[in-house]
Amino acid sequence: MDTQAARRRGGQVSAATTTTTASTTSAISVRDLVKRFDGYTAVGGVSFDVPSGQVTALLGPNGAGKTTTIEILEGFQAPTSGTVSVLGVSPRKGGRHWRARIGLVLQATSLDDQLTVSEALGLYGRLYASPRTVGEILDAIDLKQEARTRIGALSGGQRRRLDLGIAIIGQPEILFLDEPTTGLDPEARRRLWSLIEKLTATGTTVLLTTHYLDEAQHLASRVVVLADGRVIADAPPGELRAMGGAPVIRYRLPANAPELPGALIQRMDLGTRQLTLPSTDVAADLAALITWARDQHVDLTGLEVGPPSLEDAYLFLTENAGRPTVGQMTGRSIQP
Amino acid sequence: MTESTVPGRGEPRRLPRSGSLLVGQIQYQMILLARNPRALVTGLVIPPLLLAVELGRVQNMGGTAAGMTVLAPRVAGLLLFAAAAIALFTHASTLVVAREDGVLRRWRAAPLPPGVYFSAKIVATVLAADLGQVILVLASVSMARLHLTVHAVAAMLVIGTLGALAFAAVGTALTAFISTAQSAQPVLMLTYLPLVFLSGAFGPLQDLPHWLTRVITYLPAQPIADATSRALLQSGRTLIPEHDAAVLVGWLAVGLLASLRFFRWDPHRPAHARPAR
Repeated sequence: MDTQAARRRGGQVSAATTTTTASTTSAISVRDLVKRFDGYTAVGGVSFDVPSGQVTALLGPNGAGKTTTIEILEGFQAPTSGTVSVLGVSPRKGGRHWRARIGLVLQATSLDDQLTVSEALGLYGRLYASPRTVGEILDAIDLKQEARTRIGALSGGQRRRLDLGIAIIGQPEILFLDEPTTGLDPEARRRLWSLIEKLTATGTTVLLTTHYLDEAQHLASRVVVLADGRVIADAPPGELRAMGGAPVIRYRLPANAPELPGALIQRMDLGTRQLTLPSTDVAADLAALITWARDQHVDLTGLEVGPPSLEDAYLFLTENAGRPTVGQMTGRSIQP
Repeated sequence: MTESTVPGRGEPRRLPRSGSLLVGQIQYQMILLARNPRALVTGLVIPPLLLAVELGRVQNMGGTAAGMTVLAPRVAGLLLFAAAAIALFTHASTLVVAREDGVLRRWRAAPLPPGVYFSAKIVATVLAADLGQVILVLASVSMARLHLTVHAVAAMLVIGTLGALAFAAVGTALTAFISTAQSAQPVLMLTYLPLVFLSGAFGPLQDLPHWLTRVITYLPAQPIADATSRALLQSGRTLIPEHDAAVLVGWLAVGLLASLRFFRWDPHRPAHARPAR
C-alpha cells in the first residue's frame, strides 16, 4: 500500500501547476470562499481544487476553518461569498441526484443505535440506483460477524467502519471523510486506511480531514493546510515537507550510550531516545555530533539527515501562520 | 411520485421512486418505535394499567347505561393520554434525539426527499397511536364490558388518527424550540401533561375561570376527549363534531406551517462552541 501511495504521490505536480487545468479535472473547486458568523470570520478567502480520483487531505489546527469548509462543500452551510463547485454543482443547489453521487462520513457517528448493522446498510442502500449489496459492504468493512448486532453494541472502530460502509453503499464518486479515524486504536486505523486505499484504486475521489499527520502522509496525494481561515500550503506531501523549514538530523541513541551534551539532549525524546534536530548548519551540527560520538566511542549507525517530516512541516507552517502550536520547529545550530 | 436519473459513472441510473422509499422509511420508523421502551411503556402499557386502576373504583357498573356514562369519559381520557404520549411526547423527543445525535443530518445528506422522511415518521407515529388506542379499547371491552358499535369504532378511528396527526405536527414544530436531548423530556412533559389534565381526561375540573374553560376548548386535547366520549356514548350522528374537527385540523395546519418555518435538521451548536479568534 505504501508503494501505491508513493506512486500516486510521485505522479503529482504542485498545486500551482494544476490550477490551470482545475476546471476540467477537479471534482471539487473552491474559489475565494468566505464564511462569516455574526462578525466572526471562520473562513476568510479560501481557494483550492480537489483532483478527481485522488485523496486530498485538509489539515489545520482547531478553529482553522476545516469543518466549516467541508460543511459548505457537503451542502450543510451556505457560503457568505465565493464560489464552490462539487461535481460541477453548487452544493446548496445539489438535489437528490447530486446527493446520490457523494458519500459522507461525518465527524461523529450518527446512526440509530436500535438498528442492526445489516438493517442500517439495507435502509441506506435502497436510496440509490445501483447500490452495492449488503453482503459486499459487510465483507468490505469486515463486519460480517456483526451483521445482526445492534449498532449500540458496536465498538468505536466498528461504528466508524459501518459509517464508511453506509457512505460507500451508493458507489459515490466523491467521499468526504471528516476525521474518520479519530479515537480508533492503531489496528482499527490501519484497517480503515486499507479500505480507503481500495476505494481510491477504483477511482473514488476522497476529501479527508484529519488531525493525524501520518494518516495524511499515508493516504493523501495532496495536502491543503488551513490556518486562521486561509490556505497556507497546498502541495503534495513531499513538497510540503520540503517547505517545512530546516533539514533535520535524526539519530536514535543506543541503549548503553552516555548522555548527549546539553544542547542536544533538549532535542531528544527521552522515552524513545530519538534525537530530532532541525538544523540551519548541517555540516557544523554533524561535525559536533561526530566529535562527541568519537570521544565517547558511540556507534552512529542510523544517523540520518533529511527534510522535516510532514508533522514537522505542518507545525512549522502553522506556527509561522501565527497559530499557537504544540511544537517548535525553528532551525538552530548545536552548541555542544 | 417521481422517478429520476443520475448522471454519473456509466449509464444514467434511475433513483428509486418516492413510493418505495416511503414504504422503507415507514418500516424503519416502526422498527425504531418497537425498540423504544419509553414509547412502548408510555403509549401502550400505562393506559391499560390506569384503566385497570380506574375500574377498581367503578367496578360493578360495567355494561349498564349508568356505568357507560361514568366509564366513557375515563376511557376517552385514557385514549387521549395514549395518543398524546405517542404522537406528541415520543414523536417529538425522538426527533430531538435524532437531531442532536446527527441522525437527521445524515438523512439530510442522503438522496432521500425530506418529505418522505417526515411523512414516514408521522405515518409510523399515527399507526403506533392507533395501535395504542386499539389495545386500550380491547382492554376496555374485556375488563369493563364496554359496549361498542361499528359507528363508535369508526368515530374513534377518525378522532384518534386526526388527533395523532395534530399532535405529531405540533410536536414536530416544538422540536425547533428544544435545544438539547436532555431538555426534551422535561419541556415536552410540561407541554403535554397540563394539556391532557386541563382537558378533563382524568376527571372534570371544577371552578376553572370562564376564560380558561373557553381557551381549553380550542386546544387540541379536549376535542379528542370530548369527541371520543361522545362516540362511546353514541350520542352523536357524525363521526366527529364539527367544532372538534375544526380545532384539530387547525392545530394540524399550525403545526405543519410552524415546522416548515422553524424546523432544524442540524444539532444545536452553542455560540461558545465556536473557536475564539
